[in-house]
Amino acid sequence: MPDADWAEFSFDGIGTRWEVATPLPLAPALRSRLLERVEKFDAGWSRFRSDSLVGAMAHSPGRYSFPAEAAALGTLYRTLYGLTGGAMTPLVGGSLERLGYGPAYTLQPSGPPMPAPRWEDVLDWDGTAISTRAPVVLDIGAAGKGLLVDLLAAELATAGEKDFLVDGSGDLLACGSRRVAVALEHPYNPAQAIGVLDLRGRALCASAANRRSWGDGLHHVLDGTTGRPVRTAVATWALADTAMEADALATALFFVPGQVLRDAFNFSWLTVYSDGTADHSAEFEGTLFT
Amino acid sequence: MSPSAPTSTLRRSIFAGIAGLSLAGTVAGCAPSAAEDGPAPADNGTAATTPAGGETALAGSGSNYKDGTYSADGNYVSPNGNETVGVQLTLASGTVTDVRITEHPSNPNTRKFQGEFAGGIAAQVVGRNIDELKVSKVAGSSLTSGGFNQAVEKIKSEAR
Repeated sequence: MPDADWAEFSFDGIGTRWEVATPLPLAPALRSRLLERVEKFDAGWSRFRSDSLVGAMAHSPGRYSFPAEAAALGTLYRTLYGLTGGAMTPLVGGSLERLGYGPAYTLQPSGPPMPAPRWEDVLDWDGTAISTRAPVVLDIGAAGKGLLVDLLAAELATAGEKDFLVDGSGDLLACGSRRVAVALEHPYNPAQAIGVLDLRGRALCASAANRRSWGDGLHHVLDGTTGRPVRTAVATWALADTAMEADALATALFFVPGQVLRDAFNFSWLTVYSDGTADHSAEFEGTLFT
Repeated sequence: MSPSAPTSTLRRSIFAGIAGLSLAGTVAGCAPSAAEDGPAPADNGTAATTPAGGETALAGSGSNYKDGTYSADGNYVSPNGNETVGVQLTLASGTVTDVRITEHPSNPNTRKFQGEFAGGIAAQVVGRNIDELKVSKVAGSSLTSGGFNQAVEKIKSEAR
């Protein structure tokens, strides 16, 4: 939490741990609203639930009406699909399932890596309406956790909270006047940090190739054009105004350099490569240990 | 619709789309009022002194750690199930002089990458006070950080 005297509300949601820190404990009614928001999000977007909209879409093509947040999410994904030449796509869910990362959690590849279908072939994402021309496994994992951070922040702001930190297992949004010191974790050694960043009024999200690793060489960041895991960048961090953008951009940095993404997004980045070198924008200057 | 459409045009039009959506407020980060309140120096007085107070208290306790090499395991839950992270710290005069992560046979990927990357990082932590590793938050492969903190807490109590 930002300060030892802040109150923390912790809970599990969408398969990970959440912490909301505020100067004073949250009222029970607000806690309930946050939990309801998480459940609503999961009911719409979870790839692991057969009763979710995404679960239905995996079986039946058609036109689906998603919650309000779908509009911003669709534009974000379409932008990044273009900037990464199709490598970053929400249609990678089928490829993930092929590699064993599906609802059954076999964690065993069930065949050779499978490229994701092309967006223009199967998907029409128009605001909150998503239409599919084939059964597709939609996976919003690259931005979903950050998006939920933003949605919880909106609930807090609506309730009048001004100073708060939302932490979705390392996807952070710090709002208000206090700075939060955040360690940038070493990609392969959680005992170490490679730097420290002061976060205030923005979101910081990270992505690392060792997270959710299983099997030899198969980790969770997949190149949608080949269905194979990405290899060169090993850890990325992105700072942006919304956690949704920061989360997605942290993943996009595995596919393209930050300079390319800067054309379309107002954000800062740090990318660490497997040879130990780092590439970063000006805002990360001085945050790395030397 | 043509795949050969100029990329710059695509980027511009999409950027305009995103800006429009931001204004619509579907997904927002912090409220604008938070940013306006932020720069006021008077508000920051308490926040600025808090870390200093924390450091003082921790520095006092740091000298109580005994020299030696300590190992502990911590657990965390990943989509693979329960995983263990083993941490070995070498302490001298209250500072960390070496950090090692115990190899996990169940995690060949991590082991492989540790080998590729180990050289660059060890130097960055050596000589830092063990308590300086505590920050408010950790951003990274965050599934493991809970396990790591468990292990460090065990070592800190062992090293008293």
